[in-house]
Amino acid sequence: MDNDSPTSGDAEIVGQVVAGDVHAFEHLLRKYQNHVLILLKKHLPYDHIEETAQDVFIRAYKSLPTFRGESSFKQWLSTIAVRACYDFWRKHYKSRELPMSSLTEKNQVWLEEAISAQASQSFHEQSLQKEAREILDWALDRLSAADRMVLELVYLEGYSLRETADLLGWSIANVKVRSFRSRKKLHKLLTQAIPR
Amino acid sequence: MNSPKTEHEVLQAILRKAYQEKENVEVGDQWQQEVMRRVRELGTLQPTPTFPEMLEQLVWRLAPVTCLLIFGLTVLFAVSDFTSGYEVFQLFMNGTEELTFALFAGL
Repeated sequence: MDNDSPTSGDAEIVGQVVAGDVHAFEHLLRKYQNHVLILLKKHLPYDHIEETAQDVFIRAYKSLPTFRGESSFKQWLSTIAVRACYDFWRKHYKSRELPMSSLTEKNQVWLEEAISAQASQSFHEQSLQKEAREILDWALDRLSAADRMVLELVYLEGYSLRETADLLGWSIANVKVRSFRSRKKLHKLLTQAIPR
Repeated sequence: MNSPKTEHEVLQAILRKAYQEKENVEVGDQWQQEVMRRVRELGTLQPTPTFPEMLEQLVWRLAPVTCLLIFGLTVLFAVSDFTSGYEVFQLFMNGTEELTFALFAGL
């Protein structure tokens, strides 16, 4: 999470929009479009980013009257964006067929090398990130929507349990338990994928 | 092979790096215009009502129902002859008293 400078300007713009100045919303859109995009790029497949970004700002616009300024506008918008990602995965997982394909031989070899004794800093720097991304996507696709979101936020992005709980609207205890379980599942998935 | 803990840490470092790389994907810039088009379509926002306002709305919403209920009950009492019902009740009570007294007196 970032520590924003006081965003009284945002609160003023929100006030203008709620008072009926629809065009003032464009200031908020321009100011925070990159922040929302960066967030969505990490959580969603490439071809769904633009559509979800639109959805996030439309949801934010509709919810503006409920914005009380208790947190910064950026934080409030992040919450909407993260919940939009969670909704996306929930819908996606409901409609998808169970993925049965295993890792390719190339990916298996890469993964084995990555976690073997030979793994070192140089390996991280030199190795192709494409393989790592493929393996990560493969593993995440085998988790539930909730496990996926918690794992991404806590394990991969480094958010605290409280921040994650705020973003997802869950209790801290729920995030803690789910974070532990999803990490175990991920580790199990990846270690089982390597032929030993 | 590393210990499970080291293995786990190495894996986490690699996956984190791969995950961070995802933000470098390029995205088009047409979607912002689409957002503003949809926002204009939605029009101005309705402010969220406060609690007294919500209560007031509820009272006014229930007012016609309450009026109808009062009217209906008035008609019902007028039609069902409330007075005679009361008299029958009184008669029963009086009758019981007389019967009890008659039995008590041995008449």
